[in-house]
Amino acid sequence: MFMRILGKSIARRKQRVAIAIVAVVMGAAIASALMTTSMAMKDKVGQQFRNFGANIVVIPKSDTIEVGLPGITFGSVTEQRYINESDLWKIKEIANWSANVLGYAPFLYQVVGVNGSDGRSLNIVLAGTYFNRSVENVTKDANGNLWATGIRRIAPYWDITGKWVKDGNDRRESIVGTIAAKAMGLSIGSVYSVNYVNPDTQNVTTRDLEVTGIVNSGGAEDSQIFVDMEVAQEISNRPGKVHSVQVSALCTNCPAELIGQEIEKSLPTVQAKSVKQLVLAENQIMMQLEQTMTLVTVVALGASALGVMTTMTTNVIERRKEIGLLKSIGADNRRIAALFLTEAAIIGLAGGAIGYGIGLGLAQFIGQSVFQSSVEIVPIAIPITMAISVGIALLASALPVRRATQVEPAAVLRGE
Amino acid sequence: MTQIVELEGVTKDYGNSTRALSDVRLSLRKGNWTTVMGPSGSGKTTMLNIIGCLDSPTGGKVNIAGVDIAGLDQRGLTKFRRENIGWIFQQYHLVPYLTALENVMLSQFYSGIVDEPLAVEMLTKVGIGHRLQHYPAQLSGGEQQRVCIARALVNEPSLILADEPTGNLDQNNGKIVLDLLERLREEGHTIIIVTHNTEIAGLGDRTIELVDGKISLDRINERKHGEVI
Ligand SMILES: Nc1ncnc2c1ncn2[C@@H]1O[C@H](COP(=O)(O)OP(=O)(O)OP(=O)(O)O)[C@@H](O)[C@H]1O
Ligand SMILES: [Mg+2]
Repeated sequence: MFMRILGKSIARRKQRVAIAIVAVVMGAAIASALMTTSMAMKDKVGQQFRNFGANIVVIPKSDTIEVGLPGITFGSVTEQRYINESDLWKIKEIANWSANVLGYAPFLYQVVGVNGSDGRSLNIVLAGTYFNRSVENVTKDANGNLWATGIRRIAPYWDITGKWVKDGNDRRESIVGTIAAKAMGLSIGSVYSVNYVNPDTQNVTTRDLEVTGIVNSGGAEDSQIFVDMEVAQEISNRPGKVHSVQVSALCTNCPAELIGQEIEKSLPTVQAKSVKQLVLAENQIMMQLEQTMTLVTVVALGASALGVMTTMTTNVIERRKEIGLLKSIGADNRRIAALFLTEAAIIGLAGGAIGYGIGLGLAQFIGQSVFQSSVEIVPIAIPITMAISVGIALLASALPVRRATQVEPAAVLRGE
Repeated sequence: MTQIVELEGVTKDYGNSTRALSDVRLSLRKGNWTTVMGPSGSGKTTMLNIIGCLDSPTGGKVNIAGVDIAGLDQRGLTKFRRENIGWIFQQYHLVPYLTALENVMLSQFYSGIVDEPLAVEMLTKVGIGHRLQHYPAQLSGGEQQRVCIARALVNEPSLILADEPTGNLDQNNGKIVLDLLERLREEGHTIIIVTHNTEIAGLGDRTIELVDGKISLDRINERKHGEVI
């Protein structure tokens, strides 16, 4: 019977209830969109840092710091600032902390054209690096062997199918990220060619490469191609140049900043930032973003609350006689409140559900336009959005419901 | 004890200036039909609302069905109302979005037990058995008033209170309603009916007249069986 009363009273005021639901939808959509975006972005950033074996990033001095952030922005690959490869050994030979430097891997990035599996050509980032390279100038170990370094040293988390590239002596071997391999329709052993267009001369360099391994790191590496540093330098005709160096330093108490300072002393043209510093900077951006989002959400939810409150107040005023009648036939305040609060909860639930759906779309839009990446669904956002929506609807109904319980049946049931 | 309503020195003030009831003393027998008359503004509705526990007096003692109303809080009053009082309003006050049947069941719902067959039986008794699924807007005034009577009856109240039940009805429909009430009285219900209509003043077992919030006339009527209007 309760549901029948509720259902029929709502059905009779469809439009008004719909307006209240729309009010909740707006707040819920914005709340869920911003919540999803911020959670997904935090996840993403966090994952990138967790996957990152190196804890110091070395980049040319005046370059923007983002260039050194692997997997987050490589928008500046055409930036014409480099570190000289011939200086890199000094990273290992710094004062005081030399023993703590476990290894490093230099990177030179360039965008190359390849053939996609659908026949169309694709642009893809090709990175030159060291895999396991012996470095002259560095003090030999006790057995007289050269010190070797490369991504095999600093990125042990790389999940490679197939084989690593042998440094230097092979001109065709490459490791391809899983996403890139799929896009190009490649598997281990496939031979493919890359085209590099020199931005200044427009000369095209073509090179045949072979897939020796496929990497799955969960990060940006998955959509890149990795070749020996010299191969990359040859393709783009930048001999002896690298964009950035990732350094893995062993630090129990993590004096990564100090190690970074030593590196900067040894190589005056670079800046060496600890990943922790980068994480902090990133966190700060996230925090600022979150504050803005929270503010926007609060404002949107405030508007929702106002919408619900208006509808519920009108509802109570219009139904004063009915409320008086219900009281006269024995409905106490609790049951009067239950009638209106249940309606509010239904408005909250409906608004929350629709709002969540719209919010997801909105989150994708924000992700694409602000972060240039798609936003994953964050399941926890569903119950949170629903709870917020219902909470707001109930809260906004508190005053109108109080008014309903205060209706004096004797006064409203009198003749006109 | 056969007294169902006992008012002792009941006073009702609205603000400082309006005294709607002034020192009313009244004692009504169970199973009686009492007609309350009086000019407009004399306090009839006020008195009925106090008897029906819809309003509380400013002073005096109210005892309904053996219960001292002063001792009840808001929830106690509501509970008392739903167990003891059946209301018939001049404006009917049916819930517009519920059918005739649902309006009667609504009263059952708030009393605790929904019994659809009984609700149908009540509506049939007042002659609305063929209009169960009609909405108030689809019913004539007389029919709406009969739904209102069915709703008042369905919980077996000890007291039926009717404020101008025929006030909005034509003579024919008014007669139907009064005949219904007469039947209820014959079945043993206690009825208090407020009316302006001097033609029905003589109906029932007792006629009371209020003037300026005071009882100015209190008359026991000779029962004239079957004679209405
Ligand atoms: N809520 C209220 N606030 C102030 N005064 C009120 C209120 N309700 C009733 N009154 C006053 O109390 C007096 C008695 O009113 P009541 O409604 O009991 O009269 P009545 O006999 O039922 O009149 P009628 O025949 O017109 O229905 C009137 O003077 C009325 O103006
Ligand atoms: Mg009146």
